This record gives sequence, structure tokens and C-alpha cells, in this order.
Amino acid sequence: MGNATGPLVYCHNRCPPSGTPRSKEAAITTATANEPAVELAGITKRFPGVVANKDIDLKVAKGRIHAIVGENGAGKSTLMKILYGMQRPDEGVIKVDGSPVTFGTPGDAIAHGIGMVHQHFMLADNLTVLENIVLGSEPRKGGVALDFRAARKKIKEISDTYGLGIEPDMLVEELGVGDRQRVEILKVLYRGARILILDEPTAVLVPHEVDELFDNLRGLVREGLTILFISHKLDEVLQVADAITVIRRGTTVAAVDPKEVTARRLAELMVGSELPSPETRESTVTDVVALAVRDLRMGASGRSVVDGVGFDIRKGEVLGIAGVEGNGQAELVEAIMGMRPISSGSITLNGRDITHWSTLKRREAGIGYIPEDRHRHGLLLESPLWENRILGHQTRKPNVRGIWIDRAGARRDTQRIVENYDVRTPGIEVDAAALSGGNQQKLIVGREMSGDPVLLIASHPTRGVDVGAQAAIWDHLRTARAAGLAVLLISADLDELIGLSDSLKVILRGKIVADIDPTSVTPEQLGSAMTGAGEGA
Amino acid sequence: MSSFLDRMLGRVKLGGWLAVAAPLLAVVFAAVITSVILLATGKAPLEAFNALAQYGAQPRTMVTIINTGTEYYISALAVAIGFRMNLFNIGVDGQYRLAAVVAAGVGGAALVPGVLNIVLVIVVAVIVGALWAAIAGLLRVTRGVSEVISTIMLNSIATGIGSWLVKNYFGVLTGNELATKEIPADAHVPGMALIPGTQLQVSGFVVLAIVLGVAYYVLLNRTRFGFELRATGKSESAALSSGISPKKMILTTMIISGAMAGFIGMPELLGSSYKYGTNFPTGLGFTGIAIALLGRNTPVGMAIGALLWSFLDNSSDTLQLLDISKEIVAIMQGVIVLSVIIAYELVHRYRIVAEQRRVSRELAAPKGPQQVEGAPA
Amino acid sequence: MLRNRVSKLAAAGAAGAMVMAVAACGGSDSNTSATPGASAPAASAVKVGLAYDVGGRGDGSFNDAAAAGLDKAVSELKVTSKELEATQGETDTQKEERLRLLAQGGYNPIVAVGFAYSGSLAKVAKEFPDTHFAIVDDDAATGANIDNLVFAEEQGSFLVGAAAALKSKKGDVGFVGGVDVPLIHKFQAGFEAGAKAVKPDIKIQTKYLSQPPDMSGFGDPAKGKTAAQGMYDAGADVVYQAAGGSGGGVFDAAKASNGLAIGVDSDQAALPAYSAVKDVILTSMVKKVDVAVFDFLQSDVAGKFTAGKHVYDLKAGGVDYSTTGGQLDDIKTQLDEFKQKIINGEITVPTS
Repeated sequence: MGNATGPLVYCHNRCPPSGTPRSKEAAITTATANEPAVELAGITKRFPGVVANKDIDLKVAKGRIHAIVGENGAGKSTLMKILYGMQRPDEGVIKVDGSPVTFGTPGDAIAHGIGMVHQHFMLADNLTVLENIVLGSEPRKGGVALDFRAARKKIKEISDTYGLGIEPDMLVEELGVGDRQRVEILKVLYRGARILILDEPTAVLVPHEVDELFDNLRGLVREGLTILFISHKLDEVLQVADAITVIRRGTTVAAVDPKEVTARRLAELMVGSELPSPETRESTVTDVVALAVRDLRMGASGRSVVDGVGFDIRKGEVLGIAGVEGNGQAELVEAIMGMRPISSGSITLNGRDITHWSTLKRREAGIGYIPEDRHRHGLLLESPLWENRILGHQTRKPNVRGIWIDRAGARRDTQRIVENYDVRTPGIEVDAAALSGGNQQKLIVGREMSGDPVLLIASHPTRGVDVGAQAAIWDHLRTARAAGLAVLLISADLDELIGLSDSLKVILRGKIVADIDPTSVTPEQLGSAMTGAGEGA
Repeated sequence: MSSFLDRMLGRVKLGGWLAVAAPLLAVVFAAVITSVILLATGKAPLEAFNALAQYGAQPRTMVTIINTGTEYYISALAVAIGFRMNLFNIGVDGQYRLAAVVAAGVGGAALVPGVLNIVLVIVVAVIVGALWAAIAGLLRVTRGVSEVISTIMLNSIATGIGSWLVKNYFGVLTGNELATKEIPADAHVPGMALIPGTQLQVSGFVVLAIVLGVAYYVLLNRTRFGFELRATGKSESAALSSGISPKKMILTTMIISGAMAGFIGMPELLGSSYKYGTNFPTGLGFTGIAIALLGRNTPVGMAIGALLWSFLDNSSDTLQLLDISKEIVAIMQGVIVLSVIIAYELVHRYRIVAEQRRVSRELAAPKGPQQVEGAPA
Repeated sequence: MLRNRVSKLAAAGAAGAMVMAVAACGGSDSNTSATPGASAPAASAVKVGLAYDVGGRGDGSFNDAAAAGLDKAVSELKVTSKELEATQGETDTQKEERLRLLAQGGYNPIVAVGFAYSGSLAKVAKEFPDTHFAIVDDDAATGANIDNLVFAEEQGSFLVGAAAALKSKKGDVGFVGGVDVPLIHKFQAGFEAGAKAVKPDIKIQTKYLSQPPDMSGFGDPAKGKTAAQGMYDAGADVVYQAAGGSGGGVFDAAKASNGLAIGVDSDQAALPAYSAVKDVILTSMVKKVDVAVFDFLQSDVAGKFTAGKHVYDLKAGGVDYSTTGGQLDDIKTQLDEFKQKIINGEITVPTS
């Protein structure tokens, strides 16, 4: 998911330095008098009940980069699957180069010059670039023998034409992520695509690779190709697209010109309302220390992953930990949860030393935990919601009575969570896997808020959830904070961190390197503090 | 999402009629494959199936099927306990054999009279089975040794220890048969004349097997321990962050699985042979694995699986009377297990999609257009 | 084309079914009219049931020898027969069921091959007093309708022991027993006595592949190979195996070590299964289960069933050594001298 935290309105640490020109040359060169390369009219796709698409209207001009933006689950993927022949629309017309087409399989789409570059690469590591590209459409010589020479020549030609810089005989395992993506693009071009669909292509890339990709894309449109670019990262979309279509709840709600729209406006179009803000208003911080961490060290000396970390969280306080991922946040959280051994230091909860307690005992003492990866750590995907309610609370009422599971009690309380936390589900007997990410997360939040916790550890609480759920989760955190809950917040979403936290600490290579006042810091300043560039604020 | 392995081991449930459809499909498929093989070898499938059906309908056969099935069932329960939390207790075989040898030795010594001896024998078997399984559990939690490897090795060691015990301590030689001393008659568990038309009696251990099946269900589905076991099996990482200690669970589960394995040899020891000798059944632990797979670790599914397996195993003589090789039974059993796994996979995929659609539909229907949630995560 | 083939197959299957159905009808007819126990009126009405031990027909050893006796009876005595085979790891109950199935089906006489049937046969024979049973290799199961066919394995083993000692250049021979049970002890005792009769100071290595109740030593060629390999490595040049299905491994080890091996039960150098290793098979201690089975069937068909122990020794031609391959040609006279002495009673071979 990368940092898919809803609409990132601002640029954070991965954005180019301010002043980078948002190149629009490509858009200007081929702007006029062009029949659409792809035209969708009135496309509707009904799965029994599911959103999918309704009345999608979309015109993609030839030789343009056309972005399709929308929240997670707005229906972008379904739309692309329809266009790539993986799914058949129930109603509506698809026109390619002006003539109506019907696609039964991706093969049909490819035959009409439409190719798809998937978010997850589909390359075999132990084969060469050449072999990967020809896989599935092997060139034949006299019908039998593989004609690698012709293939190599063709790949070279394509690579040179579009400036992709691909060496056909390299092993894929030797390539970096950006190169692999170019191989995927080349693979599609090799099969004759003139219209490329790129599904969240930047999700796996680091900033300079993103810039390289965008240069490549501009190169492609210059040569007359058409690109459909799917993303929910608005800064990137504004940077590269020539036209933008916004999808909300399965239908196209707006077609906008990137030159005339701000990121914030775009985000509001996607959400369909005023954007929620993570801002917390007045302070509720008390004098009572709920959690005290002192001189915490983890890992072998010399290679400590957490190195002398100490802090207090008071009741009613949200302490935010900012840091580039992999600087010890995950380990710190697991140490406080008792899931990972520490080398030295102490952890005190409500005045009681819990350093040597088991995870279970800590949870019973009132620590709630919203894990970073809800699928791995927060849920039993193949179990019904009410069993998920028990998870982590398997020793407490209303879930158990002695050694027995209190099924009625657990079900009743799950119903309560579903209602109070607005978990959208037809019932509590469905498996957790059937819920959308946002609803899964609301269930977890509701569960972890149960049983009057003293401390809540919220690790990326709104990662990968839709904007509606994000706002709801922020609301719940604020309410609980006002009621005296201490919160340890870890997040990669700097707006979330700045907006929710009463105090902020920056972690770098396992050490707390800065204390920052969230009321006066900008995301840019915080971002540079996280990389160790500018200390303090 | 669950892995294919999860589904194969039945850690993922299937709801409603689908749970029945898959095994039925598999049995039908197995019958088709078997027919093809029979035809290919020049035998008439209908004849064979007819003979099997007639054989199965005889009262004496029914008793035999139930009695053998009882042992299979207990074995499947022992295996399934491990399966439910991701442990492959391949060592059920060694555990029950070692348990039976020691229990037979103790029972043969007639330390206590009558019913007390029965209780003693069973308790000894359960303890030995549990201890033997605990070795594999300890190796896993302390040294990280995969229980698959350690239990396979422990099976061989159990064979050796069993022979050594019989030869040096418990053994009595009759002709060429070296066996433990026979357990005195006052500690024989009587059979029940449940099925009319035959002198053979249904083993009294059928009652025990039913009790164990119920206990298995209650333990897994109604107790906190069972919840922790299933949670660990479904997601070890989620269990860990929920305060469940995977190490403790591994050790406990191995011990319970081994204790259950201790029961496997009891119907034979206390109800039929009364001694551990050359003809004491071997390999029941592996049969249990197949049946646990077949029955998807559910108590009822495994009961049906055990009876089916037992029926097939016992019917090999009948087929031989028709000059059909007894190996056809092994082929049928293999095909059934494979097709059950495949059928469940298909049904499972269907169910996931169906459930997600149902959720979306039910969400969309009453609330109208006001809110549309995204595709299920 | 495919369809054509399938339909042919189906036709063949259907034809088979009809034949079987007819056979089944015939079977059930004779079933009802058969009067078990009474002297058979005509040889062709006799239905012989044979229950094999694990391995069954084609095991290249013991079961095969029984099958040969049955085949001879079928062709010479015009009896009909039915053969059932045991499964690995089965219980006494399942063996009983097999015997019952035969007895109820009107098969009489019934031959149980192997001492594994001892307990189950004793039980079933009581339930069917009018059916005649024979059991090979066991004298523990006794009754008025049980014929115990046992062999003087020690006598045959004495001869191959002598052969081993005469052929051994290093004065070092080995014995690999399948399972450490009294039956196999007889092989070992005879072998040792024979070897020592030729060369009193000969070195004899002994190894059993498994200990009862673990019977895997009769069916594990890998174990047999490892054990024999160890003996060859330790200096043996002739190894005698009495290990059933594990014997093949001993031959493999002999081949790999340029040693010699001695077979058991059947004339193993003449069996197709061992054609690849026949040059290392010096001789085999032939235990004529076929003769015993045939004799039993012949006398029963003739109405001369006698219960009790029948010992097949050298004198009765029940055991012998084989000469296939001609490797014993130079010492045949010496061996035949020993043979004569045993028959005369000049030499008494120990059994344990």
C-alpha cells in the first residue's frame, strides 16, 4: 500500500524540492483536434450488490496522460478491468479509436492495442529481460524454433524509440524496481499496445524513480501513445497528468484540468464533501503519567534498533512519534506490547512496573493496540466478526466466563461495536475478510477501545482506509483522549501526526533526536527533521 | 487471505450446504476414476461396487467397519488437534504405538484388579502418548526443530523402544509370536451387541470415541483454550499481538494431541487382542492424517471419513474374491483424499466470492444509494 | 478414435462382468451343495482358499512358493482356488475376517501362509469345525481340523552353512535374519552348525533387521542392504539371508561388494526378480512350501486329511539347497555327504 493514507494534500518528504517545474509541455503539444483514443459511455457494471461502476463516461484524448483518481474502492480498478477485458460491462459502450469494441478477454484488449502495467510486477527473477518479455508470445521461426534474435532486435528498437534504456540480456533479478517497471512497460509495448493502463505505478517507487517514470511517460506520449494513469496520490497526478477524471462511488463525477485545480479541491471532489481535518482543538493533557518509558534499549549493543528511548505519556495526551519507517518505531511498539524482548530499560504503566509482564498481562492492565498491519496482527480474516472481537480480549468479560467462551456476550458486544463505531456490515457472523479495509479498521478501533484502556498504541491507525473511515477514527481518538486516554501514535501521515498529537518526538536510527511542538511545525519541517537534516523546529 | 495450505488442512471453515457438497463431489469423482481404472484393467465397475455394497450391508461387516473406524476416528482427532493450529503431528503413529506397548505391559502385569486395571491402562497410555509428543513440542519451542522432522524420527525411535520393552520386559513367546502378557479377563472391555444378525460385537470403545469427538468439539469451539488454539492456527502473528504465547500453545497442543493419540490403541488392546504383539495394528497414525484431511477436522466429517476409510480397508478381501486387486482400494482412498482437497479448494473460492458479494449486496440494499463502500479489502 | 477405444474398453468390461457374473452364479451353486468335511466326490468340486501373508503372490520368496504349490494343485488335481492377500499393519481381527470370508464362501480346504495367522486361524478353525485348515510355519495353532506344515529349516541351513564355509576365502561369513523370532533362529542355528562343521574356527557375523513385535525386517530391502554391507565391510565374503522381502537388499550389497550371498525359501537365483544379481547368489536354502502345500491339498482331496504337525525335513524333501548357477558344482559331493549324514541321523542339527 505504500503510504496510501487517503488524499495526501500536501507534499511530504518525498516531494521534489519546491520550485520543481510541473512539466506540461506534452500536454500542450497535442492538445487540439484529436478524436479520443478511448471513449467510454454509460459503462455500468453490477456485481450482485457491489459498487462497481455506473454510468461511467470517459474520453481519453490520443497522446495524453490521462489520470483517473478516486479513493480506495471508488471503482477505479473495476473500470480498468473492464477496459482491459478482464470484466464485461453490463451496459455501455467502449470505443477505441472511434469504433465500438467488445472485449471478452485481455487478449481482445491487447489485439486492440490496449495494454496494462500492473501494480505488482509479473516477472520471473531468474529469466532475462528478453525471456520475460517474450514469455507467452514467443516469436517462432518456421513455426517451431524460438526466434530470439528477432525478439532482441525488436526490444532494442522499442527501448531506443521511447528512451527506456532496457538491456535485453540482463537477468531480471539484477534490476532495480524502476527498471523492472520499465520492463513491464516494454512488455506491453512489445505486444503492440498503443494505449497503456498504469495501475498505481508509483506505489512501489522511491521519489527519484517516480521522477524517472514520469519522464518515461512523457516520452511515450510524445511518440503518440496514450496513457491512462490510475492513482490516488494527488500531488503526483497534478505533476504528470494532462487531464484528470475523478471517480467517486463508482461513477465519474468530474473531469478537470490539472492546471486549474488545487490538490485540496481535487481531494474534496474525490470525497464528495469538505475534507476532514485531523486537528485537535484544545488540550486535554493532565498531570497523571499513564506510561513511562525509561532508557529502553533493544538489540545487541552496537547495533541497537532502539537506543535509550525514554518518554512519558500523560492521561489525555497524544504523543506522536515521527520517523522514516524502519528507524525503530515498530520495535518500540512491540517492546511496549511485550511482544519483543528488550535489552535494558523499564516500562511503567499507571505507576506499575510492567517491564517483565507478558503481552496478555499488559493487555489486561489496559493497553489497547491498533497494529500497523491489521491483516497480520489485528484480525483473524477467516473468522467471523464476533470471534475477532474476542481476539486480544480472550481473558476478559464479556467474551469469556471462566474457561468458557461466552458466545452470547461476545456477540452482544460485537453488535455494540458495530453500531457505535459505524462498522458497515450485514451482520456479525460474516468473516472479517469480507469487510472493506476501513470497516475492518473501525472494528479494531472499537475493540481496542473496549474495556476502558489506560493506554492506546495506535500504529498507522488510518493507513489504507478510505477518507470516511479516517475521519471517524480520528474522531474516536479525540473523544477517547478527552476522556483521559493516553495515546501513543505512530504514523507516516505527517498531517495526522501534527494534527492529532499534543507532543511530538522524532525517532532516527533508534534514538529520539528531537522534541517538536506540533502547534508550530509544518509537515515540511517535520519531514526534514525525520531525515536528520534539520534539528528541532 | 488464507493460504492453500490452510484450506487443505481445514483451518478454514466452509458454511452451509457447501460443506456437504465438496465431499460428496469428491466421493463421486473417486468412484468415476475407480471405474475408469477398473475398466482399463478389464473388470466391471458395477460388479465391484455392487459387491462392495453387499459386503457393507452385512451385519458382521458393519460391526467390523465400526470397530476399525473407531480407531481411525480417534487417530484423526489426534491429528486434527495439531492441524487446527498449524502443527503437523506426523508422530501420532509412534505416540500411539509406544503408548500401547507400555500400557499393554502395565495392564498385563495386572497390578490392580478389574475395572481399575482398565483405567490404569488407559491413563498410562494417555500419559505416555502425551510425554512422547511433548518431546517434539519441546524441541520445537526450545530449539526450533520442525515437528514434522522430529516426529518422523520419533516414530522410528518409538518402534525401537517398543521392541526393546517387549523383548526385555513385557514379552511372552507363543510359537513365533512375541507379545506382551495378556491383560487378564477381568479388565477386558466388553463389546455391545448393537447390530442384530451377527455374533460380532461393537466395541465398547465406540462410546469413548463419541465422547472424545464431543470433547474435541467443545474444547476447540467453546473454551478459551480452543479459541487461542484456533487463533494461533489461523494467524500466529495475530495471536502473538493478542497476548497468546505461541510457544505455550505449541507445547500444549502437542501434548493434547499426543494424549489423544494414547487412546488410539485402546480399542484393540482392551477390546480385541488384549496384548501388544506382532499383529498389533501399525500405521493408524497415518490413516488418521488422511481422515483428518478428508473430514476437514470437523468431528462429524472425520467420523464419516473414518467409517468410509474403514469400509474401504475392510472390503479389500471382497474385491479379491472378484479377482480385483486389493490395491484398487488404495487408489480409491488416494483419489478421494485428493479430490476432497481439490473440491474444497473450488468450493472455498466460490464461497469467498459469494460471501463478499452477499456483504456488498446486503450493505447496498437497505441503505440505498447514500453510502457505497469500496470493494472488500 | 478415442471414443472407439473407450467403447471397446467398455465392451470388454461388460464382457468381463458377464463372465464374472456367471462364475459367481456357479460359485454360489456349488456353495450350497457343498458338504464341507465329507470326502470330495469329484476333484473338480473342491474349492481351495489360500490366505497369503503380506506381499502375496509375487513376493519372490515365501508366498510365491506357496503359490507354486497351489498352481500345481490347480493343474494336477483340477481344484478351483481363491487367493486373498494380507495388508501391512492389519490386525488379528482382519486376518480372522479373511479366513471367515473364505470358510463361509465354501472354500475347503483353506491354507494360511505364515505364522502371522497362528492366532486368528486357531480361533476361526474352531468356528468352522467341518473345514480343513493348514497353516505354514506354525505349530502353535492346533486343532482337529488344522494341519501344521512346518519345516526343518535348520537342516537346509546346515547345508548352505557348510557351502558358505567351503566357499569363503576369508573364513568369515554372515547371517542376516529378518526378524528376531524363533523361526528365524532355526535358520541361524543350522547355518552356524554347518559352517563350523566345515571350519570350526570360522568367524560368523549375525544381524537381525528388526525386533518383534516390529515385523518390518521382513519387508525392508534398505535395512537388509545396510546390514549386509556392514558385514562385507567387516570382512565377510558370504552372507546368508533369511529375511523375506528384505533379502533383495542383501543381494544388492553382495553385488556392490563383490561378495557372495545365499538365498532363502525359493531358488532365488532362478527367479526373474533377481536376474540382475543372480551371479552373486551362491545357492539358496530351498524351503519347499510348494511341496508341502501341494501334499496337503493332494491328501485332502483324496480324503486323507490328517491333523497335527507335519515336518518337512531333508529326508522328506521339504528343504534342500539349490544348484542353479553351478557355483556349487565343485563341492557338491561334500554337501551331499553332509546331507546323507543328516538324513541318517549321524548329524543332529540344533534348532536354536
